[in-house]
Amino acid sequence: MSGRPVAIVGGVTTKFGVRAATWSELVQEVGAALFRAVPELRSEEVDSLFVGAAEPERFAFQSHVAPLAAEQLGLKPYRILQRNELACASGQSAIRSAYAAIASGLSDIAVVVGVEKMNLPSMAEANSAMGCVMDRPWDGPAGATAPPFFAMVAQRHMLEYGTTAEQLAAVSEKNHRFANTNPTAQFHEKTFTRDKLLRLPVIAPPLRLGDCSSMTDGAAAVVLTSDEHARRFTDSPAWIRGSGQYSGFHNLAHAGSLTEWTGLSRAAREALGRAGIGVGDLDLAEVHDCFSISEIVEYEALGLCPPGEGGRFAADGRGDLGGDLVVNPRGGLLGCGHPLGATGVAQAVEVFQQFSSTVPAARQVPDPEWALVHNLSGSANVHSVMVYQRGGAA
Amino acid sequence: MASPTTTPSETRAPESPPPAAKTPEKRPFLLDFFPLETPDQTRLHRFYERLREGRLSTTRCPRDGELHWPPRTACPSCRTEELEWVDLPESGHVYAFSAVLVGAPLGMEAEVPFAVGLVDLDGVPLRLFGRIEGRPWTELRIGEPVRTEAYDIGDGRMFYRFRTSG
Repeated sequence: MSGRPVAIVGGVTTKFGVRAATWSELVQEVGAALFRAVPELRSEEVDSLFVGAAEPERFAFQSHVAPLAAEQLGLKPYRILQRNELACASGQSAIRSAYAAIASGLSDIAVVVGVEKMNLPSMAEANSAMGCVMDRPWDGPAGATAPPFFAMVAQRHMLEYGTTAEQLAAVSEKNHRFANTNPTAQFHEKTFTRDKLLRLPVIAPPLRLGDCSSMTDGAAAVVLTSDEHARRFTDSPAWIRGSGQYSGFHNLAHAGSLTEWTGLSRAAREALGRAGIGVGDLDLAEVHDCFSISEIVEYEALGLCPPGEGGRFAADGRGDLGGDLVVNPRGGLLGCGHPLGATGVAQAVEVFQQFSSTVPAARQVPDPEWALVHNLSGSANVHSVMVYQRGGAA
Repeated sequence: MASPTTTPSETRAPESPPPAAKTPEKRPFLLDFFPLETPDQTRLHRFYERLREGRLSTTRCPRDGELHWPPRTACPSCRTEELEWVDLPESGHVYAFSAVLVGAPLGMEAEVPFAVGLVDLDGVPLRLFGRIEGRPWTELRIGEPVRTEAYDIGDGRMFYRFRTSG
């Protein structure tokens, strides 16, 4: 660990879903909620703002979004103002930048907002925006978007390891069940049994509708401070103890083994190593289940089970309450929806709220101390991992 | 690949059906609202010119022999900008595939359902992603032999795709 200790001291998430609200309105909404949730926070002490936003140019026809967001939030940052774009991991990218700024002493109190407005009157336009995440001139003309890529991951995992549609449904059932405890989740009020999930229409074979996260509008925000300020805001700061990131390729031609996400293994090893713990010390993990197969491959890449056994790990409930560790208690991307820039921030909000015991009892992890957050982007070509520790001394 | 041809109007594969009525201004084709394949727009214009001749090609580094995909203007290993063009094998085998049944990007809605996949080209260490034409996705299998072909995407621009033998 280098630099000053940094903690998340508060955070909120707007309602995720198909929202009758523009990009700017979502930012105003999350800002109002943040200042209600963290009443000790004064606008003038927020020296820096980091905005995780993946594709406002495509979805909201807007660039230069950092100052726009600052104005929507009623903030006038005087040290660092920037927008972070890392597609589906823009949110964690923004948190990582805030962390680095505070650890280095450049910032003392920073706000991170993650936001995406994805639902447009034309779904084809929105799907085109998703296609831009790929190496567009080369992968795009074939019609590459996320579902067919992750479908190929599932196809290979089924071929190489015998993973089944029922095991995919086990992931989706768990995360949708957790989402039933989360009022901000897009599918908060919908029940998905494994049988029902297996009867939903095929989107990109072998993936069905319930195996895929959705196009979602939403925002999330957190406050980060140095150790000098943290205790003024909360008794249970979420201390950032480790961080790691790895990017191995971009064009789909370089994906290599679709079923072995070595980039995640490397990023997690870096983050856990900096925290000085092993994967067995974790009490909960928020991992990037953009598709059900993703969570299965992530179990394996994180070392929670041997390669090929992620499907069984899911079916046996080892990532559920009462299992080895609780994975995606928030409801995951499958249950909450996936507003690209907001997801990574919402994952961190869940960690903070788990640590401060402010989530509904039905998903509260008993007395958690260590949490890992994984935010991937693109065709699983970039993996971003952070490790948090609850409370205690800085 | 399709047989080499000399004029843009003849570059479609012989087995392709007659072109449907297309409206170029409604077909941004994943946001390429303007043609970007010509020498005034890209240093890789030879890729498209060779496609027009029915040849799928890429760049190779003459120093270290590295075969690139997609074609490049600088070698990622030694960074030389003096690269050479080489034709790619016309045959390959499907490594993985899926299909787009819903959620197609702009300009592709009418083509649903269509199959896409990763194809290992025979004899070179390249695995290319692309559209798979021919038999429907329900009849495809991993390991399936396919051939590469050039095609006009509908408004005069060229790209490559794969086609099953059956």
